[in-house]
Amino acid sequence: MKLKIKILLANPLSVMGLLLISLVFGSAIFADFITPFPLHKGAVVDFSNFNQAPNLTNIMGTDLVGRDLFTRIIYAFRISIMLGVVVLIISVPIGVFMGLLAGYSGGKLDFVLMRITDVFLSIPPLVLAMAVMGLLEPTLLNGMLAVTAMWWPWYTRLIYNLTRSEKEEGYVVAAEVVGASRWHVMFREILPNCTHAIITKMTLDFGFVILIVSSLSFLGLGVQAPTPDLGSMVAEGARYLPDSWWLTVFPGLAILIIVFGFNLVGDALRDMMDTDS
Amino acid sequence: MSDSILDIQNLSLSFQGLTETVDVLDNINLSINRGERVALVGASGSGKSVIARIILGLLQSQKGAIVKGSVRFRGIELEAATGNQIESLRGREISMIFQDPTSSMNPVYKIGTIFHEILNRGTHNISKKLALIKASKLLEEVSITEFKRVLESYPFQLSGGMNQRVMIALALANKPALLIADEPGTALDVTVQAQTLKLMHNLVKKNNTAVLFISHNLGVVRQFADRVYVIYKGRIVESGSTSSIFENTKHPYTKALMNAVPKITSKSFFDASDDSSLFKQPAFHHKDREIGQ
Repeated sequence: MKLKIKILLANPLSVMGLLLISLVFGSAIFADFITPFPLHKGAVVDFSNFNQAPNLTNIMGTDLVGRDLFTRIIYAFRISIMLGVVVLIISVPIGVFMGLLAGYSGGKLDFVLMRITDVFLSIPPLVLAMAVMGLLEPTLLNGMLAVTAMWWPWYTRLIYNLTRSEKEEGYVVAAEVVGASRWHVMFREILPNCTHAIITKMTLDFGFVILIVSSLSFLGLGVQAPTPDLGSMVAEGARYLPDSWWLTVFPGLAILIIVFGFNLVGDALRDMMDTDS
Repeated sequence: MSDSILDIQNLSLSFQGLTETVDVLDNINLSINRGERVALVGASGSGKSVIARIILGLLQSQKGAIVKGSVRFRGIELEAATGNQIESLRGREISMIFQDPTSSMNPVYKIGTIFHEILNRGTHNISKKLALIKASKLLEEVSITEFKRVLESYPFQLSGGMNQRVMIALALANKPALLIADEPGTALDVTVQAQTLKLMHNLVKKNNTAVLFISHNLGVVRQFADRVYVIYKGRIVESGSTSSIFENTKHPYTKALMNAVPKITSKSFFDASDDSSLFKQPAFHHKDREIGQ
Protein backbone atom coordinates (compact mmCIF):
# COMPACT_ATOMS: atom_id res chain seq x y z
CA MET A 1 0.00 0.00 0.00
CA LYS A 2 2.81 2.40 0.90
CA LEU A 3 4.40 1.56 -2.41
CA LYS A 4 1.16 2.32 -4.20
CA ILE A 5 0.95 5.75 -2.61
CA LYS A 6 4.55 6.36 -3.61
CA ILE A 7 3.70 5.49 -7.20
CA LEU A 8 0.74 7.85 -7.01
CA LEU A 9 2.84 10.69 -5.68
CA ALA A 10 5.61 10.12 -8.19
CA ASN A 11 3.38 11.26 -11.04
CA PRO A 12 3.09 15.07 -11.11
CA LEU A 13 -0.26 14.88 -12.89
CA SER A 14 -1.81 12.76 -10.14
CA VAL A 15 -0.45 15.13 -7.52
CA MET A 16 -1.99 18.01 -9.41
CA GLY A 17 -5.31 16.14 -9.54
CA LEU A 18 -5.18 15.46 -5.82
CA LEU A 19 -4.40 19.11 -5.14
CA LEU A 20 -7.31 20.29 -7.30
CA ILE A 21 -9.71 17.92 -5.59
CA SER A 22 -8.54 18.87 -2.12
CA LEU A 23 -8.90 22.51 -3.10
CA VAL A 24 -12.49 21.95 -4.20
CA PHE A 25 -13.42 19.81 -1.20
CA GLY A 26 -11.60 22.03 1.25
CA SER A 27 -13.22 25.21 0.04
CA ALA A 28 -16.64 23.55 -0.06
CA ILE A 29 -16.33 22.32 3.53
CA PHE A 30 -14.99 25.60 4.90
CA ALA A 31 -17.10 27.79 2.65
CA ASP A 32 -18.57 29.68 5.62
CA PHE A 33 -15.13 30.79 6.75
CA ILE A 34 -13.27 31.53 3.57
CA THR A 35 -15.89 33.31 1.53
CA PRO A 36 -16.05 37.11 1.94
CA PHE A 37 -19.85 37.34 1.76
CA PRO A 38 -21.41 34.09 3.03
CA LEU A 39 -24.87 35.61 2.87
CA HIS A 40 -24.60 35.95 -0.88
CA LYS A 41 -25.25 32.25 -1.37
CA GLY A 42 -28.96 32.95 -1.00
CA ALA A 43 -31.46 35.47 -2.32
CA VAL A 44 -29.60 38.66 -1.55
CA VAL A 45 -29.97 41.72 -3.70
CA ASP A 46 -27.45 44.54 -3.74
CA PHE A 47 -28.22 46.70 -6.73
CA SER A 48 -25.72 49.30 -5.72
CA ASN A 49 -22.96 47.20 -7.08
CA PHE A 50 -24.38 44.76 -9.59
CA ASN A 51 -22.42 43.37 -12.53
CA GLN A 52 -19.07 44.62 -11.30
CA ALA A 53 -15.90 43.50 -13.03
CA PRO A 54 -13.37 41.70 -10.80
CA ASN A 55 -11.90 44.10 -8.26
CA LEU A 56 -10.31 43.99 -4.82
CA THR A 57 -13.53 43.49 -2.83
CA ASN A 58 -15.10 41.07 -5.29
CA ILE A 59 -12.17 39.21 -6.74
CA MET A 60 -14.33 37.51 -9.35
CA GLY A 61 -16.74 40.33 -9.80
CA THR A 62 -20.43 40.41 -8.93
CA ASP A 63 -23.45 38.98 -10.68
CA LEU A 64 -26.52 40.69 -12.05
CA VAL A 65 -28.06 41.34 -8.65
CA GLY A 66 -24.83 42.36 -7.00
CA ARG A 67 -23.83 39.11 -5.29
CA ASP A 68 -20.16 38.20 -4.93
CA LEU A 69 -19.34 35.66 -7.61
CA PHE A 70 -16.46 34.09 -5.71
CA THR A 71 -18.73 33.36 -2.76
CA ARG A 72 -21.35 31.84 -4.99
CA ILE A 73 -18.84 29.62 -6.80
CA ILE A 74 -17.51 28.24 -3.54
CA TYR A 75 -21.04 27.46 -2.37
CA ALA A 76 -21.80 25.95 -5.76
CA PHE A 77 -18.96 23.50 -5.11
CA ARG A 78 -20.97 22.24 -2.16
CA ILE A 79 -24.02 21.55 -4.28
CA SER A 80 -21.96 19.95 -7.02
CA ILE A 81 -20.12 17.65 -4.63
CA MET A 82 -23.32 16.70 -2.89
CA LEU A 83 -24.95 15.92 -6.22
CA GLY A 84 -22.01 13.83 -7.34
CA VAL A 85 -21.91 11.89 -4.09
CA VAL A 86 -25.64 11.27 -3.95
CA VAL A 87 -25.94 10.22 -7.58
CA LEU A 88 -23.05 7.79 -7.28
CA ILE A 89 -24.15 6.44 -3.90
CA ILE A 90 -27.53 5.53 -5.36
CA SER A 91 -26.60 4.46 -8.86
CA VAL A 92 -23.42 2.48 -8.17
CA PRO A 93 -24.96 -0.11 -5.81
CA ILE A 94 -27.91 -0.58 -8.16
CA GLY A 95 -25.68 -0.98 -11.18
CA VAL A 96 -23.21 -3.26 -9.41
CA PHE A 97 -25.96 -5.48 -8.03
CA MET A 98 -27.64 -5.82 -11.40
CA GLY A 99 -24.34 -6.55 -13.10
CA LEU A 100 -23.34 -9.18 -10.56
CA LEU A 101 -26.72 -10.84 -10.69
CA ALA A 102 -26.88 -10.92 -14.47
CA GLY A 103 -23.27 -11.97 -14.92
CA TYR A 104 -23.28 -14.70 -12.33
CA SER A 105 -26.73 -16.13 -12.94
CA GLY A 106 -26.59 -16.26 -16.71
CA GLY A 107 -29.53 -17.65 -18.62
CA LYS A 108 -32.85 -15.88 -18.73
CA LEU A 109 -32.18 -13.49 -15.87
CA ASP A 110 -29.00 -12.41 -17.61
CA PHE A 111 -30.91 -11.79 -20.81
CA VAL A 112 -33.70 -9.80 -19.22
CA LEU A 113 -31.48 -7.64 -17.02
CA MET A 114 -28.98 -6.88 -19.74
CA ARG A 115 -31.66 -5.99 -22.28
CA ILE A 116 -33.17 -3.54 -19.81
CA THR A 117 -29.70 -2.10 -19.34
CA ASP A 118 -29.25 -1.89 -23.10
CA VAL A 119 -32.45 0.09 -23.42
CA PHE A 120 -31.20 2.62 -20.90
CA LEU A 121 -27.81 2.74 -22.56
CA SER A 122 -29.29 3.35 -25.98
CA ILE A 123 -30.95 6.60 -24.96
CA PRO A 124 -28.55 9.57 -25.05
CA PRO A 125 -27.90 10.42 -21.38
CA LEU A 126 -28.77 14.09 -21.54
CA VAL A 127 -31.98 13.39 -23.44
CA LEU A 128 -33.05 10.83 -20.85
CA ALA A 129 -32.30 13.19 -18.01
CA MET A 130 -34.17 15.98 -19.77
CA ALA A 131 -37.15 13.72 -20.31
CA VAL A 132 -37.25 12.77 -16.64
CA MET A 133 -36.89 16.40 -15.63
CA GLY A 134 -39.54 17.43 -18.07
CA LEU A 135 -41.98 14.93 -16.61
CA LEU A 136 -41.22 15.84 -13.04
CA GLU A 137 -40.71 19.24 -11.50
CA PRO A 138 -37.27 20.68 -12.11
CA THR A 139 -35.98 20.49 -8.56
CA LEU A 140 -32.65 19.49 -7.07
CA LEU A 141 -34.01 16.13 -5.93
CA ASN A 142 -35.49 15.30 -9.32
CA GLY A 143 -32.25 16.37 -10.93
CA MET A 144 -30.43 13.78 -8.91
CA LEU A 145 -33.08 11.22 -9.73
CA ALA A 146 -32.78 11.90 -13.44
CA VAL A 147 -29.02 11.61 -13.45
CA THR A 148 -29.15 8.49 -11.29
CA ALA A 149 -31.56 6.87 -13.72
CA MET A 150 -29.08 7.27 -16.51
CA TRP A 151 -25.98 6.42 -14.53
CA TRP A 152 -26.50 2.91 -13.18
CA PRO A 153 -26.50 1.05 -16.54
CA TRP A 154 -22.83 1.88 -17.06
CA TYR A 155 -21.96 0.12 -13.84
CA THR A 156 -24.15 -2.81 -14.73
CA ARG A 157 -22.30 -3.18 -18.00
CA LEU A 158 -18.89 -2.88 -16.35
CA ILE A 159 -19.58 -5.32 -13.53
CA TYR A 160 -21.41 -7.71 -15.83
CA ASN A 161 -18.35 -8.11 -18.02
CA LEU A 162 -16.02 -8.42 -15.06
CA THR A 163 -18.27 -11.00 -13.43
CA ARG A 164 -18.43 -13.02 -16.59
CA SER A 165 -14.67 -13.33 -16.66
CA GLU A 166 -14.18 -13.74 -12.90
CA LYS A 167 -16.80 -16.47 -12.85
CA GLU A 168 -14.46 -18.79 -14.70
CA GLU A 169 -11.61 -18.24 -12.25
CA GLY A 170 -10.47 -21.16 -10.13
CA TYR A 171 -11.35 -19.54 -6.85
CA VAL A 172 -15.00 -19.14 -7.82
CA VAL A 173 -15.27 -22.82 -8.69
CA ALA A 174 -13.41 -23.65 -5.49
CA ALA A 175 -15.91 -21.62 -3.48
CA GLU A 176 -18.83 -23.34 -5.18
CA VAL A 177 -17.26 -26.69 -4.44
CA VAL A 178 -17.05 -25.99 -0.73
CA GLY A 179 -20.74 -25.18 -0.80
CA ALA A 180 -20.80 -21.41 -0.85
CA SER A 181 -24.21 -19.95 -1.64
CA ARG A 182 -24.71 -17.87 -4.76
CA TRP A 183 -24.91 -14.68 -2.70
CA HIS A 184 -21.68 -15.54 -0.99
CA VAL A 185 -19.95 -16.17 -4.30
CA MET A 186 -21.35 -12.98 -5.79
CA PHE A 187 -20.61 -10.63 -2.95
CA ARG A 188 -17.70 -12.16 -1.10
CA GLU A 189 -15.73 -13.76 -3.91
CA ILE A 190 -16.44 -11.89 -7.13
CA LEU A 191 -17.26 -8.40 -5.89
CA PRO A 192 -13.98 -7.86 -3.99
CA ASN A 193 -12.17 -8.63 -7.22
CA CYS A 194 -14.13 -5.92 -9.01
CA THR A 195 -13.67 -3.14 -6.45
CA HIS A 196 -10.64 -1.68 -8.18
CA ALA A 197 -12.66 -1.14 -11.36
CA ILE A 198 -15.59 0.31 -9.42
CA ILE A 199 -13.44 2.76 -7.48
CA THR A 200 -11.63 3.90 -10.60
CA LYS A 201 -14.82 4.39 -12.53
CA MET A 202 -16.46 6.20 -9.63
CA THR A 203 -13.59 8.65 -9.40
CA LEU A 204 -13.72 9.34 -13.11
CA ASP A 205 -17.50 9.57 -13.03
CA PHE A 206 -17.61 12.06 -10.20
CA GLY A 207 -16.44 14.75 -12.57
CA PHE A 208 -18.81 13.64 -15.29
CA VAL A 209 -21.82 13.61 -12.98
CA ILE A 210 -21.04 17.19 -12.02
CA LEU A 211 -20.67 18.04 -15.68
CA ILE A 212 -24.03 16.49 -16.58
CA VAL A 213 -25.81 18.13 -13.68
CA SER A 214 -24.28 21.44 -14.71
CA SER A 215 -25.49 20.86 -18.25
CA LEU A 216 -28.98 20.25 -16.94
CA SER A 217 -28.80 23.41 -14.87
CA PHE A 218 -27.49 25.25 -17.89
CA LEU A 219 -30.65 24.21 -19.72
CA GLY A 220 -32.67 25.41 -16.77
CA LEU A 221 -33.71 21.94 -15.70
CA GLY A 222 -31.48 21.44 -12.72
CA VAL A 223 -30.79 23.36 -9.57
CA GLN A 224 -33.11 26.35 -9.30
CA ALA A 225 -32.35 29.87 -8.13
CA PRO A 226 -31.39 31.18 -5.70
CA THR A 227 -29.29 28.10 -4.90
CA PRO A 228 -25.87 28.74 -6.41
CA ASP A 229 -25.00 26.27 -9.14
CA LEU A 230 -22.19 26.40 -11.63
CA GLY A 231 -24.29 25.35 -14.60
CA SER A 232 -27.03 27.90 -14.07
CA MET A 233 -24.44 30.58 -13.36
CA VAL A 234 -22.86 29.96 -16.74
CA ALA A 235 -26.29 29.99 -18.36
CA GLU A 236 -27.22 33.31 -16.76
CA GLY A 237 -23.96 34.92 -17.74
CA ALA A 238 -23.98 33.62 -21.29
CA ARG A 239 -26.47 36.26 -22.30
CA TYR A 240 -24.06 39.04 -21.30
CA LEU A 241 -21.02 37.81 -23.16
CA PRO A 242 -18.56 39.17 -24.03
CA ASP A 243 -18.97 42.36 -22.00
CA SER A 244 -19.55 40.75 -18.59
CA TRP A 245 -17.14 37.91 -19.26
CA TRP A 246 -16.55 37.15 -15.56
CA LEU A 247 -20.12 35.89 -15.19
CA THR A 248 -19.36 32.85 -17.38
CA VAL A 249 -15.62 32.45 -17.28
CA PHE A 250 -15.22 31.91 -13.54
CA PRO A 251 -18.03 29.38 -13.07
CA GLY A 252 -16.84 27.67 -16.25
CA LEU A 253 -13.32 27.48 -14.87
CA ALA A 254 -14.72 26.07 -11.65
CA ILE A 255 -16.42 23.24 -13.56
CA LEU A 256 -13.19 22.65 -15.42
CA ILE A 257 -11.22 22.40 -12.18
CA ILE A 258 -13.57 19.79 -10.69
CA VAL A 259 -13.82 17.61 -13.77
CA PHE A 260 -10.15 17.89 -14.58
CA GLY A 261 -9.13 17.11 -11.00
CA PHE A 262 -11.27 14.00 -10.78
CA ASN A 263 -10.14 12.83 -14.19
CA LEU A 264 -6.50 13.11 -13.23
CA VAL A 265 -7.03 11.24 -9.99
CA GLY A 266 -9.15 8.63 -11.78
CA ASP A 267 -6.41 8.01 -14.30
CA ALA A 268 -3.85 7.79 -11.54
CA LEU A 269 -5.99 5.28 -9.64
CA ARG A 270 -6.43 3.21 -12.77
CA ASP A 271 -2.68 3.08 -13.30
CA MET A 272 -2.19 2.25 -9.65
CA MET A 273 -4.65 -0.62 -9.70
CA ASP A 274 -3.26 -1.96 -12.95
CA THR A 275 0.09 -2.70 -11.38
CA ASP A 276 -1.68 -5.31 -9.26
CA SER A 277 -0.96 -8.14 -11.62
CA MET B 1 -22.20 -52.09 0.88
CA SER B 2 -22.58 -50.05 4.05
CA ASP B 3 -18.90 -49.33 3.83
CA SER B 4 -19.26 -47.56 0.55
CA ILE B 5 -18.80 -43.81 0.61
CA LEU B 6 -19.36 -43.12 -3.02
CA ASP B 7 -21.21 -45.31 -5.43
CA ILE B 8 -21.62 -44.38 -9.06
CA GLN B 9 -23.77 -46.57 -11.20
CA ASN B 10 -24.56 -46.53 -14.90
CA LEU B 11 -23.50 -42.93 -15.15
CA SER B 12 -23.53 -41.46 -18.59
CA LEU B 13 -23.12 -37.92 -19.71
CA SER B 14 -23.64 -36.23 -23.00
CA PHE B 15 -23.61 -32.67 -24.10
CA GLN B 16 -26.37 -31.30 -26.23
CA GLY B 17 -24.89 -29.26 -29.01
CA LEU B 18 -26.75 -27.21 -31.56
CA THR B 19 -27.06 -29.99 -34.07
CA GLU B 20 -25.85 -33.10 -32.32
CA THR B 21 -25.27 -34.60 -28.93
CA VAL B 22 -21.76 -35.54 -27.91
CA ASP B 23 -21.40 -38.52 -25.63
CA VAL B 24 -18.79 -37.91 -23.01
CA LEU B 25 -19.29 -40.65 -20.46
CA ASP B 26 -20.75 -44.02 -21.11
CA ASN B 27 -22.05 -46.30 -18.43
CA ILE B 28 -19.55 -45.53 -15.71
CA ASN B 29 -19.55 -47.72 -12.61
CA LEU B 30 -17.29 -46.69 -9.81
CA SER B 31 -17.32 -47.07 -6.08
CA ILE B 32 -15.14 -45.92 -3.25
CA ASN B 33 -15.15 -47.41 0.22
CA ARG B 34 -14.49 -45.64 3.46
CA GLY B 35 -10.87 -44.57 3.72
CA GLU B 36 -9.99 -46.04 0.40
CA ARG B 37 -7.74 -44.30 -2.08
CA VAL B 38 -8.98 -44.81 -5.57
CA ALA B 39 -7.31 -43.50 -8.68
CA LEU B 40 -8.96 -42.65 -11.94
CA VAL B 41 -6.45 -42.78 -14.76
CA GLY B 42 -6.84 -41.79 -18.35
CA ALA B 43 -5.64 -39.57 -21.11
CA SER B 44 -6.66 -35.96 -21.48
CA GLY B 45 -10.24 -35.67 -22.61
CA SER B 46 -11.17 -39.15 -21.49
CA GLY B 47 -13.74 -37.80 -19.07
CA LYS B 48 -11.90 -37.89 -15.76
CA SER B 49 -12.60 -34.37 -14.65
CA VAL B 50 -16.25 -34.36 -15.62
CA ILE B 51 -16.80 -37.29 -13.26
CA ALA B 52 -15.46 -35.12 -10.44
CA ARG B 53 -17.70 -32.30 -11.50
CA ILE B 54 -20.72 -34.56 -11.58
CA ILE B 55 -20.01 -35.87 -8.10
CA LEU B 56 -19.90 -32.30 -6.85
CA GLY B 57 -23.05 -31.45 -8.76
CA LEU B 58 -21.37 -28.68 -10.69
CA LEU B 59 -22.20 -30.05 -14.09
CA GLN B 60 -25.85 -30.88 -13.61
CA SER B 61 -26.85 -27.26 -13.50
CA GLN B 62 -25.06 -26.51 -16.72
CA LYS B 63 -27.07 -25.94 -19.81
CA GLY B 64 -26.82 -28.72 -22.35
CA ALA B 65 -25.39 -31.33 -20.02
CA ILE B 66 -27.44 -34.50 -19.88
CA VAL B 67 -26.55 -36.66 -16.90
CA LYS B 68 -28.04 -40.09 -16.47
CA GLY B 69 -27.45 -42.75 -13.89
CA SER B 70 -27.04 -42.63 -10.17
CA VAL B 71 -24.45 -41.07 -7.92
CA ARG B 72 -24.83 -42.04 -4.31
CA PHE B 73 -22.89 -40.50 -1.50
CA ARG B 74 -23.31 -42.47 1.71
CA GLY B 75 -26.49 -43.87 0.29
CA ILE B 76 -27.93 -40.45 -0.50
CA GLU B 77 -28.88 -40.13 -4.12
CA LEU B 78 -27.26 -36.85 -5.12
CA GLU B 79 -29.55 -36.35 -8.07
CA ALA B 80 -32.57 -36.44 -5.79
CA ALA B 81 -31.00 -34.42 -3.02
CA THR B 82 -32.20 -30.88 -2.61
CA GLY B 83 -29.95 -27.90 -3.25
CA ASN B 84 -29.55 -27.35 0.46
CA GLN B 85 -28.58 -30.93 1.09
CA ILE B 86 -25.91 -30.81 -1.56
CA GLU B 87 -24.65 -27.48 -0.32
CA SER B 88 -24.28 -28.87 3.16
CA LEU B 89 -22.39 -31.90 1.85
CA ARG B 90 -19.96 -29.84 -0.12
CA GLY B 91 -17.13 -28.51 1.91
CA ARG B 92 -18.01 -30.64 4.90
CA GLU B 93 -18.32 -34.19 3.65
CA ILE B 94 -16.85 -33.79 0.20
CA SER B 95 -14.00 -31.49 -0.62
CA MET B 96 -11.76 -31.02 -3.57
CA ILE B 97 -8.20 -30.19 -4.50
CA PHE B 98 -7.63 -28.47 -7.80
CA GLN B 99 -4.99 -28.57 -10.48
CA ASP B 100 -3.76 -25.06 -9.97
CA PRO B 101 -3.61 -24.20 -6.28
CA THR B 102 -2.78 -20.51 -6.69
CA SER B 103 -5.75 -19.60 -8.82
CA SER B 104 -8.09 -21.61 -6.62
CA MET B 105 -7.81 -19.12 -3.81
CA ASN B 106 -9.37 -15.69 -3.96
CA PRO B 107 -6.53 -13.21 -4.38
CA VAL B 108 -8.21 -10.55 -2.28
CA TYR B 109 -8.24 -12.57 0.93
CA LYS B 110 -5.40 -13.57 3.19
CA ILE B 111 -4.85 -17.28 3.78
CA GLY B 112 -6.05 -16.82 7.36
CA THR B 113 -9.36 -15.39 6.17
CA ILE B 114 -9.81 -18.22 3.70
CA PHE B 115 -9.23 -20.72 6.50
CA HIS B 116 -11.72 -18.92 8.68
CA GLU B 117 -14.35 -19.15 5.99
CA ILE B 118 -13.76 -22.83 5.30
CA LEU B 119 -13.71 -23.74 8.99
CA ASN B 120 -16.88 -21.74 9.44
CA ARG B 121 -18.59 -24.18 7.12
CA GLY B 122 -17.67 -27.05 9.38
CA THR B 123 -18.34 -25.34 12.71
CA HIS B 124 -20.78 -22.51 12.54
CA ASN B 125 -19.85 -19.14 14.02
CA ILE B 126 -16.33 -20.18 14.79
CA SER B 127 -14.39 -17.17 16.02
CA LYS B 128 -11.57 -15.81 13.94
CA LYS B 129 -9.13 -16.45 16.76
CA LEU B 130 -10.07 -20.08 17.15
CA ALA B 131 -10.09 -20.55 13.41
CA LEU B 132 -6.55 -19.21 13.18
CA ILE B 133 -5.36 -21.54 15.93
CA LYS B 134 -6.96 -24.46 14.13
CA ALA B 135 -5.51 -23.28 10.85
CA SER B 136 -2.00 -23.15 12.30
CA LYS B 137 -2.37 -26.75 13.44
CA LEU B 138 -3.60 -27.77 10.01
CA LEU B 139 -0.71 -25.98 8.36
CA GLU B 140 1.72 -27.69 10.70
CA GLU B 141 0.34 -31.00 9.54
CA VAL B 142 1.29 -30.16 5.98
CA SER B 143 4.80 -29.27 7.13
CA ILE B 144 4.41 -25.52 7.05
CA THR B 145 6.29 -24.38 10.10
CA GLU B 146 6.13 -20.65 9.51
CA PHE B 147 2.35 -20.70 9.63
CA LYS B 148 2.17 -17.22 11.12
CA ARG B 149 3.62 -15.68 8.01
CA VAL B 150 1.56 -17.90 5.72
CA LEU B 151 -1.71 -17.02 7.43
CA GLU B 152 -0.87 -13.34 7.04
CA SER B 153 -0.05 -13.71 3.34
CA TYR B 154 -2.13 -13.46 0.24
CA PRO B 155 -2.18 -16.50 -2.06
CA PHE B 156 -0.12 -14.76 -4.72
CA GLN B 157 2.62 -14.03 -2.22
CA LEU B 158 3.31 -17.73 -1.70
CA SER B 159 5.03 -20.18 -3.97
CA GLY B 160 3.08 -22.78 -5.92
CA GLY B 161 4.26 -25.60 -3.70
CA MET B 162 3.34 -23.68 -0.58
CA ASN B 163 -0.10 -22.93 -2.00
CA GLN B 164 -0.55 -26.57 -2.86
CA ARG B 165 0.09 -27.53 0.74
CA VAL B 166 -2.26 -24.81 1.91
CA MET B 167 -4.85 -26.24 -0.49
CA ILE B 168 -4.43 -29.69 1.01
CA ALA B 169 -4.78 -28.28 4.51
CA LEU B 170 -7.90 -26.40 3.43
CA ALA B 171 -9.42 -29.41 1.75
CA LEU B 172 -8.91 -31.54 4.84
CA ALA B 173 -9.84 -28.80 7.31
CA ASN B 174 -13.34 -30.08 7.98
CA LYS B 175 -12.28 -33.73 7.97
CA PRO B 176 -14.29 -34.69 4.93
CA ALA B 177 -15.26 -38.28 4.23
CA LEU B 178 -14.36 -37.94 0.59
CA LEU B 179 -11.63 -35.92 -1.01
CA ILE B 180 -11.58 -35.45 -4.74
CA ALA B 181 -8.16 -34.58 -6.05
CA ASP B 182 -8.35 -33.49 -9.66
CA GLU B 183 -4.81 -33.81 -10.99
CA PRO B 184 -3.38 -32.12 -7.95
CA GLY B 185 -0.21 -30.24 -8.60
CA THR B 186 -0.14 -30.71 -12.34
CA ALA B 187 0.75 -27.03 -12.47
CA LEU B 188 3.77 -27.64 -10.23
CA ASP B 189 7.16 -29.09 -10.91
CA VAL B 190 7.81 -32.74 -10.24
CA THR B 191 9.78 -32.51 -7.02
CA VAL B 192 7.28 -30.25 -5.33
CA GLN B 193 4.48 -32.43 -6.59
CA ALA B 194 6.07 -35.54 -5.12
CA GLN B 195 6.56 -33.81 -1.78
CA THR B 196 3.01 -32.58 -1.50
CA LEU B 197 1.53 -35.86 -2.62
CA LYS B 198 3.44 -37.65 0.06
CA LEU B 199 2.04 -35.24 2.60
CA MET B 200 -1.45 -35.73 1.28
CA HIS B 201 -1.01 -39.48 1.35
CA ASN B 202 0.01 -39.47 4.99
CA LEU B 203 -2.77 -37.13 5.98
CA VAL B 204 -5.62 -38.99 4.34
CA LYS B 205 -4.30 -42.20 5.81
CA LYS B 206 -4.29 -40.61 9.24
CA ASN B 207 -7.77 -39.14 8.90
CA ASN B 208 -9.17 -42.17 7.14
CA THR B 209 -10.38 -40.03 4.29
CA ALA B 210 -11.50 -41.68 1.09
CA VAL B 211 -9.86 -40.18 -1.96
CA LEU B 212 -10.78 -40.10 -5.59
CA PHE B 213 -7.47 -39.33 -7.18
CA ILE B 214 -7.74 -38.18 -10.75
CA SER B 215 -4.48 -38.28 -12.61
CA HIS B 216 -2.66 -39.17 -15.75
CA ASN B 217 0.56 -39.77 -13.92
CA LEU B 218 0.90 -43.52 -13.54
CA GLY B 219 3.97 -43.30 -11.36
CA VAL B 220 2.13 -41.21 -8.80
CA VAL B 221 -0.94 -43.40 -9.00
CA ARG B 222 1.04 -46.52 -8.26
CA GLN B 223 2.38 -45.04 -5.04
CA PHE B 224 -0.82 -43.39 -3.97
CA ALA B 225 -3.79 -45.55 -4.75
CA ASP B 226 -5.23 -48.79 -3.42
CA ARG B 227 -7.39 -49.32 -6.42
CA VAL B 228 -7.26 -48.03 -9.97
CA TYR B 229 -9.88 -47.36 -12.61
CA VAL B 230 -8.63 -46.87 -16.14
CA ILE B 231 -10.84 -44.72 -18.29
CA TYR B 232 -10.66 -44.45 -22.05
CA LYS B 233 -12.92 -42.23 -24.13
CA GLY B 234 -15.58 -42.06 -21.48
CA ARG B 235 -15.60 -45.71 -20.61
CA ILE B 236 -13.99 -47.55 -17.78
CA VAL B 237 -11.95 -50.19 -19.52
CA GLU B 238 -10.18 -51.79 -16.60
CA SER B 239 -10.27 -51.69 -12.86
CA GLY B 240 -8.69 -53.51 -10.01
CA SER B 241 -6.23 -53.21 -7.19
CA THR B 242 -3.15 -51.19 -7.96
CA SER B 243 -0.85 -54.16 -7.87
CA SER B 244 -2.99 -56.23 -10.17
CA ILE B 245 -3.33 -53.42 -12.67
CA PHE B 246 0.35 -52.69 -12.74
CA GLU B 247 1.67 -56.20 -12.60
CA ASN B 248 -0.96 -58.05 -14.44
CA THR B 249 -2.20 -55.62 -17.03
CA LYS B 250 -5.03 -57.06 -19.05
CA HIS B 251 -6.47 -54.39 -21.18
CA PRO B 252 -4.59 -53.22 -24.29
CA TYR B 253 -5.22 -49.55 -23.53
CA THR B 254 -3.79 -49.90 -20.06
CA LYS B 255 -0.78 -51.59 -21.61
CA ALA B 256 -0.36 -48.74 -24.05
CA LEU B 257 -0.68 -46.31 -21.17
CA MET B 258 2.04 -48.12 -19.25
CA ASN B 259 4.30 -48.14 -22.25
CA ALA B 260 3.85 -44.45 -22.66
CA VAL B 261 5.41 -43.70 -19.30
CA PRO B 262 8.69 -42.03 -20.12
CA LYS B 263 11.71 -43.84 -18.78
CA ILE B 264 14.76 -41.95 -17.71
CA THR B 265 17.00 -44.61 -19.21
CA SER B 266 15.38 -44.68 -22.63
CA LYS B 267 17.26 -42.83 -25.32
CA SER B 268 14.47 -41.96 -27.70
CA PHE B 269 10.95 -40.75 -27.40
CA PHE B 270 8.52 -43.39 -26.33
CA ASP B 271 6.03 -44.70 -28.74
CA ALA B 272 2.63 -43.59 -27.54
CA SER B 273 -0.23 -45.19 -29.32
CA ASP B 274 -3.71 -43.87 -29.07
CA ASP B 275 -6.96 -44.78 -30.66
CA SER B 276 -6.63 -48.44 -31.43
CA SER B 277 -9.79 -50.36 -32.07
CA LEU B 278 -8.68 -52.75 -29.37
CA PHE B 279 -8.91 -50.00 -26.75
CA LYS B 280 -12.63 -49.76 -27.14
CA GLN B 281 -13.12 -53.30 -25.92
CA PRO B 282 -13.75 -53.00 -22.23
CA ALA B 283 -12.27 -55.77 -20.14
CA PHE B 284 -15.26 -55.91 -17.88
CA HIS B 285 -18.81 -54.75 -17.37
CA HIS B 286 -20.73 -52.99 -20.11
CA LYS B 287 -22.42 -56.33 -20.49
CA ASP B 288 -25.71 -54.70 -21.24
CA ARG B 289 -24.42 -52.66 -24.11
CA GLU B 290 -23.14 -53.42 -27.54
CA ILE B 291 -19.66 -52.15 -28.13
CA GLY B 292 -19.28 -49.34 -30.58
CA GLN B 293 -22.73 -47.98 -30.22
